[in-house]
Amino acid sequence: MMKWTLFTPELYYVAVASVFFLCSLEKKADPRRLYRWAVILAGVGLAVTVACARMEGFLFFDSYKVDLFSQVFKIFLALGMFFVTMVCSELYGIEPRKHAEFYFLLSICTLAMMMLVSAVELLTIYIALELSSYSLYLLVPMRHRADEYVETGIKYFMVGATASALMIFGMSYLFGITHTTYVADIIRKLPEVLNQPAAVVGLLLALGGFFFKQALFPFHIWAPDVYQGAANQVTTYIATASKMAAAAMVIRFVGMSTGQSEVFIQVLVALSILSMTFGNLVAIVQKDIKRLLAYSSIAHAGYMLIGILCMTQRGYSSAVYYALAYLVMNFACFMVIIKVAPDGHNLQIKELAGLHKRSPLLAMTLMLALFGLAGIPPTLGFTGKFLVFAAALEKGYLMLVIIGMINATISLYYYLIVIKAAYLLEPVREYGPVRVDPWTRVMSAALVIAMVYVGIFPDRFVALAEAAVSVLP
Amino acid sequence: MNSLSVYLTVAAVLFSLGLFGVLMRRNLIGMLISIELMLNGANLNFMAFNRFLAPEPAVGQIMALFIMGIAAAEAAIGLSIILALFRRLRSINVERAQRLRG
Repeated sequence: MMKWTLFTPELYYVAVASVFFLCSLEKKADPRRLYRWAVILAGVGLAVTVACARMEGFLFFDSYKVDLFSQVFKIFLALGMFFVTMVCSELYGIEPRKHAEFYFLLSICTLAMMMLVSAVELLTIYIALELSSYSLYLLVPMRHRADEYVETGIKYFMVGATASALMIFGMSYLFGITHTTYVADIIRKLPEVLNQPAAVVGLLLALGGFFFKQALFPFHIWAPDVYQGAANQVTTYIATASKMAAAAMVIRFVGMSTGQSEVFIQVLVALSILSMTFGNLVAIVQKDIKRLLAYSSIAHAGYMLIGILCMTQRGYSSAVYYALAYLVMNFACFMVIIKVAPDGHNLQIKELAGLHKRSPLLAMTLMLALFGLAGIPPTLGFTGKFLVFAAALEKGYLMLVIIGMINATISLYYYLIVIKAAYLLEPVREYGPVRVDPWTRVMSAALVIAMVYVGIFPDRFVALAEAAVSVLP
Repeated sequence: MNSLSVYLTVAAVLFSLGLFGVLMRRNLIGMLISIELMLNGANLNFMAFNRFLAPEPAVGQIMALFIMGIAAAEAAIGLSIILALFRRLRSINVERAQRLRG
C-alpha cells in the first residue's frame, strides 16, 4: 500500500483533471474563477512534485520507475504547467465557454508527460506519449476566431501520427532483437547486437517519435505552423513543457546504445548539425515573432542533442541543465509576447517597437531572455551552451563544436533584430499601453533574477543535473 | 526463406506502403488510412516476433492489442479534426489547406 505514495504527483494531476472535467460540464463557468483555481491548483501541484523529489522505487510490474532523473523532469513539467496557467489571465485565444476544457487538457497532458519520463517499458512509453500527443492535437485547433489558421491542427495531427507510427515500428524491431520490452533489459542486450542493421534502424525509428516532440530536423515541419496557428498560451505550453518530456526520453533512448555503434552516433551528429543550421538560417527572415521562436526551437533541439550524443554522464547532465535553461528563457519570451498582445493576436516583430518606453520591465525581461537564447555571458543560456560544448570537446567532437559556435553567432543576428525593435525602433503608429498587473511584475522580476543568478552560480543546478543522470542505467 | 522473414517482409511492405501513402495522398481520409497501414505493419511485426522468437508468449500480443486500441482513438481524434476543417473549408483536400508558408 505504501507504494502508492510514489505515484502522488500523477494522482494529484488526475484529481486536477477531474476537477476541470466537472467544471467543463457546467453550463456557465466564470473564466476569472477558473483562472484563479487553475493557478492555485498548478501551484500546489508544483509544491507536491517538489515534495516528492527524493522518492525512489518501482511500480506496476517494474514498468514504471520513480528515481531522481524522472522526479527532476517532473518538477520541470510541473513548473512549465504552473508558468503557463500564470499567463492565462487574458485567455482571449480560446472561446470563454471552452476554458474549462482547455485547463482539463492541459492537466491531462502534464500527467501524460510525467508518466512518460517515468516509464521504462516500451508499451508504457508508447501509451504515455500518445496520451500527451492526443491532448495537444486537441489543444492546437481550439483557437478562437482563427480562420486563417484552420489547417494547423490537421498538419500537427498528421505529422504527429506518422512520427508515432514510425516509433512503434522501430520499437517492434527492438522487441524482435532483444525479446523484451523493458528498457533496462534492452540496454543489457542491445550492445551485443548493435552491429546488426535492424537494431540501428529500430533505435533510430523509435527515436523518431521523440524527435517529433522536440522538433528536431526531419520531424520539424509542424513547428512553425503550429507555433503560429495555436493560441499564444498553447504555444507557450508546447514550447516549454512538452520539450522537457521529449528531452528526457531522448536521453533515455540514446543511452540504450551505450555508445557502441559508430553509425548511430554519426546519424545523430548529422541530425544535430542539420537541425541547428536549418533552424538558424530560416529564422533570420521571419516577421512573426512566434514563428521566429519556432525556428529557434528547432535550432535549440540541435544544441541539446550535442550534449546527449556525447553519451557521457557529463553530456547528459549538460543536456538536463540546458533543458532547464531553455524552459526558463523560452517562457520569459512567451510571457512578454502574451502581455504585449493581450487580445491574443499573433505579434509581429515591428509591433514590439518602443517597448522599452511602454513597459521597461517587460522589455528588460525580453532582452535578457533573448540574450540567454543566443548564449551571451551573464545569463543561464551561456552556461548551458558552455557545458554542452565542453562535454562535446571532452569526447573530441571539435568540428561539431565549431559548427555549433558558428550557429550561435548566426542566431545572435535575429535575436538582436528583436531586441533592436524593442529598444531602438520608434513605433510607426501609436500602440496602446501595455497593461502589466502586479503578478506579471513579480513573475518578470523573478525570471530576470533566475536567469542571471542561475547563469552566474550554476554549481548547485549542475550538481542536481549530475545527480539526476547518475541514476540512469 | 523461413517463415519469420516472410512475415517481416509483409510487415515492412505494409509499413512502406503506408509511409508512401502519407507522403503522396492529397486526401486527408486517405492519409489517415495510410497511417493505419503503418500501425498494422508494426502490429504484424510484434505478432511475428512473438510467435517465433520471444520467450514470453503473451508480450507481443498485448502490444498488438494496445496498438489497435490506440489506433482507434487516433482515428477518432483525426476524424473529428478533419470534420472541423471540412466545416470551414468545404473540402478535405490538403492542397486547399495551405495558407501558412515560409
